[in-house]
Amino acid sequence: MAAVEKPVGSARSSGAIFLKITAWFGFLFLLMPSFIVLPMSFGNQYEMVFPPDSFSTYLYEQFFFQSNWMDATFLSFRVAISSTILALVLGVPAAYSIVRGTYPGKRYVAMFLMSPILVPIIVIALGLYLYFASLGIVGTEIGLIFAHTMFTTPFVIVTSMAGLRHVDQSLETAATIMGAGVMQTFFKVTLPLLKPAMFAGGLFAFLMSFDEVVIAYFIADTGRMTLPVKMFNSIQWEISPVLAAVSALLTVLSLVVCVLAASFQKKS
Amino acid sequence: MAMVRLDKLSKNYGDVVALEEVDLEVEEGEFMTLLGPSGSGKTTMLNLIAGMIAPTSGRVFIDGRDVSTVPPNKRGLGMVFQNYALMPHMTIFENIAFPLRVRKTANDVVKREVGRVLDLIQLPHVADRKPRELSGGQQQRIALARAIVYNPSIILMDEPLGALDKKLRETMQLELKRIHTELGITMLYVTHDQEEALTMSDRIILLSDGQIEQMGEPDHLYFNPNGLFSADFLGDSNMLDATVESGGETTSVRTAEGLTLIAKASAISEPGRSVKVMVRPENVSIRRSDESFDNAIQGKVIDSIILGGVVKHYVDMGRGTAEEEAMVVEELNRPGRTSIRPGVEVTLGWNASDMHVLPLEGRLPDA
Repeated sequence: MAAVEKPVGSARSSGAIFLKITAWFGFLFLLMPSFIVLPMSFGNQYEMVFPPDSFSTYLYEQFFFQSNWMDATFLSFRVAISSTILALVLGVPAAYSIVRGTYPGKRYVAMFLMSPILVPIIVIALGLYLYFASLGIVGTEIGLIFAHTMFTTPFVIVTSMAGLRHVDQSLETAATIMGAGVMQTFFKVTLPLLKPAMFAGGLFAFLMSFDEVVIAYFIADTGRMTLPVKMFNSIQWEISPVLAAVSALLTVLSLVVCVLAASFQKKS
Repeated sequence: MAMVRLDKLSKNYGDVVALEEVDLEVEEGEFMTLLGPSGSGKTTMLNLIAGMIAPTSGRVFIDGRDVSTVPPNKRGLGMVFQNYALMPHMTIFENIAFPLRVRKTANDVVKREVGRVLDLIQLPHVADRKPRELSGGQQQRIALARAIVYNPSIILMDEPLGALDKKLRETMQLELKRIHTELGITMLYVTHDQEEALTMSDRIILLSDGQIEQMGEPDHLYFNPNGLFSADFLGDSNMLDATVESGGETTSVRTAEGLTLIAKASAISEPGRSVKVMVRPENVSIRRSDESFDNAIQGKVIDSIILGGVVKHYVDMGRGTAEEEAMVVEELNRPGRTSIRPGVEVTLGWNASDMHVLPLEGRLPDA
């Protein structure tokens, strides 16, 4: 009888191992750029080589203290934070209207608000450039903020809509019957319950703006470049090894933001 | 004075009539139950009173005020939902305080009132907890406290005990009844559970297809159903097809099986009229030799089922042996009861006063 006691599914487990190995190759492939960039960022100060032949933190010093890289970084933070706030202010009420509203043509309003996702980003960039040129805000910080707000708002709308669908509507009904007006219900009931979705959507918007290069490349000018635009420029003109340090830092920032978002969503 | 008055209230959804010209008065302090199967219009009626939907025609009065066009937050109502609808992000204290905060009540008053209703529902120690830390029954009591705390003119309840198990439901029924008696608050209760309706209500409104089928005290509805729907929906019933032979102080009918039976006096006893006659299972007895009844028929026992306190006998009276064709007899289960085995021939008996004559469709004229 002992021979029969082979664990059930052992035939399947060789397939499972194969699947696991494939998955790990997939992960490795996706992570490879980061694995190359991270060691390089601690390497040689004159050129980018892999694997690095020496170890130093020179490139990080360069990034933080020696050049105008910090200006671009601060600009990126300002633009990302401002456009995130604007996207939330615009996106959350829009999502509320789409999910809870009962007016005709709601679907078309939703489609219109989502359209930036569907249009190729280069087309958006060109359109915004021409439009902002006529407004005279090309090359300004406010121009960048507006452009990125438009770019990130649809994503805030999508996450907020998903969040709203999870907010039990009978809670809003209960609040209304207990005497709360539309505004009171929204601010005391709906908004607090929507916080996790807003937080996740906000972080997402922040990252998208911070990483965005095409639109920023059209709107920015030489004196006012966001971090990705400056990276793009520097790879074209000088191939500065500092790029490796910047890339490493960007990777860490993305990671931190994603972990934050994930942990916050888990908690709620 | 009527706390709630509905005046020819109707609601249509396209061609579908959800509620048709309903007139109704709920008296102050009354426990009124809207009873009916799903789709009968009871929730529509509740939502019309709450103002969550607008009537197609007709008017709603609350406390003498025409509120037909008043938004729900200005109607001064309380409501208890089946899924409790407690705010998950607030403590129990803040949940109950919510309607007071909305009314900008002073802090010390809020504290006092929340404490008062927590005592009333006998949960004084849960103020700092979140709703999800409480059991379903406790959450529903909190929901009730929240509806009571601001003294609304009427509390609407939409199947509030539907999510609880049977035992807890029975406890909560008594609890609700106690709070109702203690506060004298007007309550309008929606349920599809006839037992619940019979247990708690001062009056029951039986709804079907958007119309009021019958309205009255639980006993009245149970003992004097005005049509097939009422007879069938409230309690169990034995129905027989019959033709009226003669009317008067009693009604004599001839059933489809050829039996002559005597029923109580009826408004629809014109000779020759096709009717249904109905008798409740608990009014039918298995006759012993020393008893006599107005009606007696022969039958053969198909099955006997013990349901705890009562025993149900299914008796074939010549219509067939399927459960819906059998005559059902219900008697109390007592120690020493002579057990009746399937296949035994018995005589069933009941009195004319327990047999109702009902129209084939529609309702009897109001008595």
